Parts: sequence; C-alpha cells; structure tokens
Amino acid sequence: MTTATVSRWDRFRESFVWYSFKRDKVAIISFLVLLLMVLAAVFAPLLAPADPYDLAQINIMNSELPPVGIDGADPAFPLGTDAQGRDLLSTILYGTRVSLMIGFGAVVLQAVLGILFGLLAGYLGGKVDAILMRIADVQLSFSTLMVAIIVGAVFKASFGNLMFGEIAIYMLIFIIGIAEWPQIARTVRASVLAEKKKEYVEAARVMGFGTRRIMFRHILPNTLSPIFVIATVQIANAIISEAALSFLGLGMPETQPSLGSLIKSGFDYIQSGSWWITLIPGLVLVLLVLVINLLGDWLRDVMNPRLYKG
Amino acid sequence: MALLEVKDLDVRFAVRGGDLTALRGISFSLDSGERLGLVGESGAGKSVAAFSILNLIARPGYIAGGQILYRGRDLASMSERELRKIRGNRIAMIFQDPMMTLNPVLTIGTQMVEAIEAHRKTGKKEARAIALDRLQKVQIPSPGKRLDQYPHELSGGMRQRVIIAIALLLEPEIIIADEPTTALDVTIQAEIMDLLLNLCEQENVALMLITHDLGVVSQVTQRMLVMYSGRIIEQGPTREIINDAQHPYTQGLINALPQMGEPGQRLFQIPGSMPSLKNVPTGCPFHPRCNFATEQCTRRMPEYVRSGNVDVACYEVANLIEQEKRMQEAES
Amino acid sequence: MTSPLVSIRGLEKRFDLSGSLLEQITFKGGRLRRRQEAVHAINGVDLDVQKGEALCVVGESGCGKSTVARTVMGLLSPSAGEIHFGGQRIDNLEGKAALPYRRRMQMIFQNPYASLNPRMTIQQTLEEPIRFHHPDWSATQVRDKIHEVMHSVGIDLDWGSRFGHEFSGGQRQRIAIARALVVDPEFIVADEPISALDVSIQAQVLNLLMDAQESRGLTYLFITHDLAVVEHFGTRVAVMYLGRVCELADTKTLFARPRHPYTQALLSAIPKLEDDRPNHIRLNGEVPTPVNLPSGCVFHGRCPYANERCRREVPAMIATDSGTQVACHAVEEGRL
Repeated sequence: MTTATVSRWDRFRESFVWYSFKRDKVAIISFLVLLLMVLAAVFAPLLAPADPYDLAQINIMNSELPPVGIDGADPAFPLGTDAQGRDLLSTILYGTRVSLMIGFGAVVLQAVLGILFGLLAGYLGGKVDAILMRIADVQLSFSTLMVAIIVGAVFKASFGNLMFGEIAIYMLIFIIGIAEWPQIARTVRASVLAEKKKEYVEAARVMGFGTRRIMFRHILPNTLSPIFVIATVQIANAIISEAALSFLGLGMPETQPSLGSLIKSGFDYIQSGSWWITLIPGLVLVLLVLVINLLGDWLRDVMNPRLYKG
Repeated sequence: MALLEVKDLDVRFAVRGGDLTALRGISFSLDSGERLGLVGESGAGKSVAAFSILNLIARPGYIAGGQILYRGRDLASMSERELRKIRGNRIAMIFQDPMMTLNPVLTIGTQMVEAIEAHRKTGKKEARAIALDRLQKVQIPSPGKRLDQYPHELSGGMRQRVIIAIALLLEPEIIIADEPTTALDVTIQAEIMDLLLNLCEQENVALMLITHDLGVVSQVTQRMLVMYSGRIIEQGPTREIINDAQHPYTQGLINALPQMGEPGQRLFQIPGSMPSLKNVPTGCPFHPRCNFATEQCTRRMPEYVRSGNVDVACYEVANLIEQEKRMQEAES
Repeated sequence: MTSPLVSIRGLEKRFDLSGSLLEQITFKGGRLRRRQEAVHAINGVDLDVQKGEALCVVGESGCGKSTVARTVMGLLSPSAGEIHFGGQRIDNLEGKAALPYRRRMQMIFQNPYASLNPRMTIQQTLEEPIRFHHPDWSATQVRDKIHEVMHSVGIDLDWGSRFGHEFSGGQRQRIAIARALVVDPEFIVADEPISALDVSIQAQVLNLLMDAQESRGLTYLFITHDLAVVEHFGTRVAVMYLGRVCELADTKTLFARPRHPYTQALLSAIPKLEDDRPNHIRLNGEVPTPVNLPSGCVFHGRCPYANERCRREVPAMIATDSGTQVACHAVEEGRL
C-alpha cells in the first residue's frame, strides 16, 4: 500500500499540474491564503480567544469596541467587538467556518446530484436526457435567491425562530445545493457526450459490461477534471449566495453568524461609527472568494486539454 | 545553382527542461522542376522540415542553425516582410487538411482573388479570370460555379483540388505538399496525385512531397530523402533507393510493406518504434532497432558515404563499400 | 461445406438525420409536410464468415464497412436483417443472454490513442474483462491468464502498473489486442486496426494478428481500406460500395482477376513500388452521399460500363466461373 501511495505522489510531482503550480505565483499565494483560512476556520475553537456561541462569555459592556490601534480599543479584542460585545476576531473565525461549511456542503450536494443526472442524461441520451435537462432548465430559470426566500420563509414559519437557528445551516446547504446542481450536470453531460464516443467506451460495451459499470467506472473518472474546476468556482459562488441570503436575513441567525450575517449585523452600526463590524468580515469574505476564484481560474487553465498538450 | 538549397539545418524546440532537437544537420537541394520526396514515419521530423523551409516553425520551435537558400537568398535570416513576398507566391504550400488553408466563411472565389491581390497589382476581374483558369487546370467539374461556393459545399477530393489551384495561382516555382492525400480515399488519392504530377511537369514547378507512403513517393518523385529521428539517413534517386535501399532502416521500411511479403506469411518487421525527441539514442538514432548495430554505432552519428548515386549515413554500408574497394584493389 | 461461424443476413442500417417529429415538419409549397432523412449506411449485406478464416471487408470511406463491424458486435442495432453466431441469432439478445457471445466475440479498434481508458492501468484494463466474465477464477488463475496473453502479444510484464498514455501507438495497439484476447474469444472483428499506425509498426501488428490467429485458432472479420494489407492478410475479400457488397472472392482470385468495375478501379489505384507511371482507372465523379441513394446499381453514376438497366435495376449477387461472386449487370450479361 505504501509503495502505491509513494508512486502516486511521485506521479503527481512529475505531473503538469504540479509543474505549472510551482511556476504560478498567483496560484501559490492563493493556495496558501486559502489553506490558512481553512485551517483557521477548522481550528477556530482552539484559536479563537472567545467562544461567540457561549452567551456566558459575552459582556454587553464591551459592545462596539474598536480594533486595536484606534482610540478606546481594548487589547483583549484585537479586532474590536460587535454590537453585542462579542470578540470580532473569534466571531469572524467561527463565521468563516460556517461559510466554508455551507460552501463545501452545498457543492458536495450539487456534485452528487449533478454527476448522477449528468451521467444519466449524457450516457443514456434520448428521453432520459430530454427530461433531465428540461428539469435542469426549469431549475435554472428560478434564481437561487428566489428559491431561498420561499423555502426559507416556509421553514421559518413552520419551525419557529429558535428551531430554525439549529437547522439553518442544513437548510442553506440544501437550498444552494438544489439551486445550482444544473451547472455541474450540464458540464458532466457535455464531457460524457464527448467521452462516450471514444473507443474505450465501445471496448467496454463489447466486453458486455453493464451500463452502471461503464458509466461509473469507465466514463466518470474521465470527466472529473472539468467537474473539479467547476466545483471550485461553485464553492465561491455558494459562499457568496449564502452571504447574500444572510445579509437579507434569510440565512444564518445572528446567534451563529456566518460572514454574511456578520456583515449584516454590523451594517446598522456603520452610521454610528462602528464601521469595523461590517468592514472586517466583508474583507475576509472578499479575500476568501477571491482566492477560491483565482485557484479556479488556474485549475481551468491547467486542465484545459488543449493547453495541456501545447 | 540549385533552386533551393538547405544547408546543415538545425531546428530545436524550447520546452521545459531544455531544448529538444527536432532536426539535425539537414542538407539537401531541389532543382528547378524537380520532384523530391521526403519520407519518414511520424516523429521523423518531415513536417518540421517542410515548415522550416518557409520559416513557418511555430514557437516554441526555432531554427537554431544552418541556411535555407532560395535562389541564393537565405530564408532563415530573412525578415518577416520579405518572407511574406515569397510564401504563397514563389513557394506555395499544400497541407494535409484543406481546411487549414480554406476559410470556411468565404467563398472559394473570394479567397483566390484575395490571394492574388496580396501579391500582384491586378483588378478584381483579372484576378477572377486567373482563379477560373487555375480551377480549370485542376480539372474541377464546373469551375465557374465553384468560385461562388463555400468550402463546406465541396467534397474532400474537390477541396484538395481547390487547394492545388490556390497553390498554382501565382505560378510558384516550388510547391511543398505535406501529406496532401493522406486523408483521402485511394481512388481519389490516385487522381489527385496524377493531377499534381502532371501539373508540376506542365508548369515546370518543383515539388517537395512529404509523405509516409513509399508507394506514392515511388510513383511521383525523382529523388527522395529518408528521415529518421530528425536526420536524413539516406538520399538519392527514388528508383535506386526503392529497388536497392542501402540503409537498414530504409530496407526495413520497404520490406515491412504488405505488398513485399508472401501472402499469409509473416511480414518483415523492424523491432521497436521511433524514439521520441525527448530521448534520442546516442550515435546513430536507429541503432537500438538495427540488426547490424555495433559498438561504433552507439557512439557517433555516421558520416554520409556514397553508394552509387545514393548518400547513406550508416557504418555498415561504409564498411561494405570499403571491403568492396579493397577486394577490387586486390584483384587488380 | 460446414456451417459458417458468423452469418450476416440481409443486414440494413439507417441513421436517422431528421431528428424529432417537430423538426421533421417543414412548410413547403403552401402545405405542411413531414420530411424524413436518413443515412443509408448498409443496404442489404449478406456475408458468411467461415471458421478459421480472415474475411476482409474493403471499401472507401462511407461505404459502410465500419458500420457492418459495429453492427455485428452489437454496438449498433440493425435496422433490418439478422446476425447469427454459431447458428444462434444474436442481434436480438439482451442482457444476460448476450453475455456468452460478448466473450466469444471481441473487437479491436482503429485508434489506439482512444481505445484504452486513460484512467486505468494496463493491469486493470486486462484484469477487468477476466474478472467480469469469470467471476469464479482465483487470483492466480487471473494472473496466469494475463501473463500468458501479455507474453504472447509482446508486452513486458512490468508495464502493468503504467497507464496507456505512457506508450506509443504500436504498444497501445498491442495492449488493446491483449485486452481482446484475455477472454479467449473465437471471433475477432478488427476495425482498421493498423491504419493509425506507422508503416514499420503496421508490420509488427499484422504479424501479431497472424500469430494469434494461428496459435488460438481465431476467425477474423477484418475491416480495412488498404488493399495491400488485404492481399497479404485475407483469406477472402468482400468489396463494399455505398452500403452494398459488390464483389466477394478468394483473395488470390480477386487480385488476379477483379470482376466488378469498382474493384478494378480500386486495385489500379494502389500506389505500387514497382511502377513509375501507373495507369489508374479513372472513375467519374465521387462517391454520392448515402442520404439519397442512386437508383438501380449504386455504382452506376461512376461506372464506365453503366447502361439503362444499371440505372433501373439493382444487380443481384451472382456466382461466376472463377468462383467470384459479383453484383454487376455488365458481368452477368458478359459485357465485361
């Protein structure tokens, strides 16, 4: 087993992906920043000075303290505090965690649905293709926000605010995942259509292999690279969607804020001079989405087969 | 003086991890009206050779040394502007895929007229007359109608005829044809080859035919070059090489043809395959596949020796010639 | 005469071009019409493949030879006609019932660069068919089989852990042949197996196919456009034109005495090493599209011997004195 992993690692190090990664400064910096943010988010409970979910740690007297370096700052709160007196650094760390979780979760859901439907539509063709792709069209013709507003309102009304706070994260994953799967399904379908004409698929059919085996074992692995590219960009999109929903008050509740809800919660206080509550989480969000998109662009360039050969 | 003379041409490709040598020490000449065949398998560098003659090598490829003398002027060091006056005008090129030359959204006539106007000062009417004349020359059915058609309305064979007509537009002195019939069916291929052959004779155009098909070369050309791994390993009169090839690779290539084998019996086969540019063997690049290879072959590329009218780069052939000489001397 | 291993009866294959019902409806001359168009790839082909022979099917692009290969292998379903294997009709079998025939019939493809799954190692490529068709075999049995086949097609055993793209075209074609051989087939359809390869590699692969035929008692249906290969490799030859077989004969007979005008033109067009100035038989025009088939003999538009009857009546296959079967009115009437 170890020999296999070693050889795979060697293969990767000799590969074009690694080669072009090493030469692309933007990709390296983006990757490092993303890695840092992901690690910070994952280890938020260890890194954060305070637990923003623990009401007992919050003192309303500390509310709206500015970040260090500005008059009136408290060194215990390096990035200041929000309107409820929570440590902004801790809240941002936890918020990034929520945002990333929703982003990844939504994309996993999109990928599962998109790959399944894309494979079926592309490989089986005919009526299956027509029906699945029309469903995808219908899905795409509703904007994510509209679906989210309706579903969110229904959830809120039926579960009540308290219960809603607990299931909000799953609901957001579900909404964004459902709303965006056609993107992946279309990509998968297009590459399946290209792959299924190739002779290795015919060779598998000549062998008598069943449809399922051909679809998942032979075709799917060969369509993964475009899925990978799309999925990366979709993570960024999902994070943005979540932030937008939260900003509209349809996303994460303020008790468990995501980056989006943090921005919203600070928005009311900009007028009163507490700009940092909105601005700092906003910058974090922009940075996060930017590095993911930059990585996505780089991946697309690398995995574009035409460039690959040149 | 030869019409075209290539001297010691080196072409390299700059890739990650250093340069790859695609052509090494290529030297040959082409006389006015002569038909020369360039034979080799994929990876031998025959297309690179064709493109480099017009200095059309695309990056990362570049000409690293040597000269390409057309009427005494070196194309390798000529400015892009001067080159453009020669390309398509004095030296025309025919590609395997007609759609590389033809623009799908313009009519045949428009493209032909534009090609003429790029090099000559003529009126539209006159240019159109020239175009029509060339289409008649390539024996295309109803040539007048073709002028107003788009490339996709023509069949593959007809497109290749149009390409030949375009090549002939400006009465070039040399046509370089890179696998012009490979994509076509045998019967169409035979017609196109006949046509090309007859036109070159009538118009006294020199033809450089790049192909992997020894049958085509033997029917069309007067002299031929055999390329292997970026080098010319044998060159001389076509008939002489086909009937009595000297280099073991050329011999193998000819003997491996199904038409040379006894039906139902195993064919002669050269073991292994052409090395990639990334790991060209030292010495004679053919030595790992050669039955006659000795230690000497692994060290240095052999010099050319002359056997009859054929130049061959092979130690074995050189030794045989040497032996023969000694025997003759001993007899006398 | 023994019964043939594979027999193809009245095979037809059309590819529909007109799309869905909505796309078929056109408005013409003040009336709505339903317009249907199809490519007639095969139009009534009868062929028998005898056990142990190599039946070559030759023809130019668009003559339907590859479609015949794909239909025989079940990659396409015939529009009409039947395919029998060892006496059993197989074109209507589905699922489990077809499995034994999937093992007994195998296919080698034209493009070695596309016929190997890029994400599978050579070992996986060769192992999967065996495990699929012989689920009861032990790991040793599977390994022994793979080693035997790898050895016989000239593949190094240590290639197993590598991927297809690491090999040259000729090596890949060997791997593809090995994949077909691991399930011990009796019958192999080879669809232009050497036309994508270099000359010196073509000889290697042809030799390999001939060795395999001898040592494993294989029967081939060999699809090619290269007549020189046919002359060398084929036991019998079927010449196809526009979806029909126009001549069928022993290889020797066909090359010595081609009867059909198309076969004659085809033979004269092969570039031969010997002659300087060949005399090609020139045909009029080019192959018509298989969308609108010519009436009568499909070849009449290009045939120098065509007369009124050829334009009207489809010629049937007739046997001649030389043992050749030919579909040509001129031959039948003794005009040729």
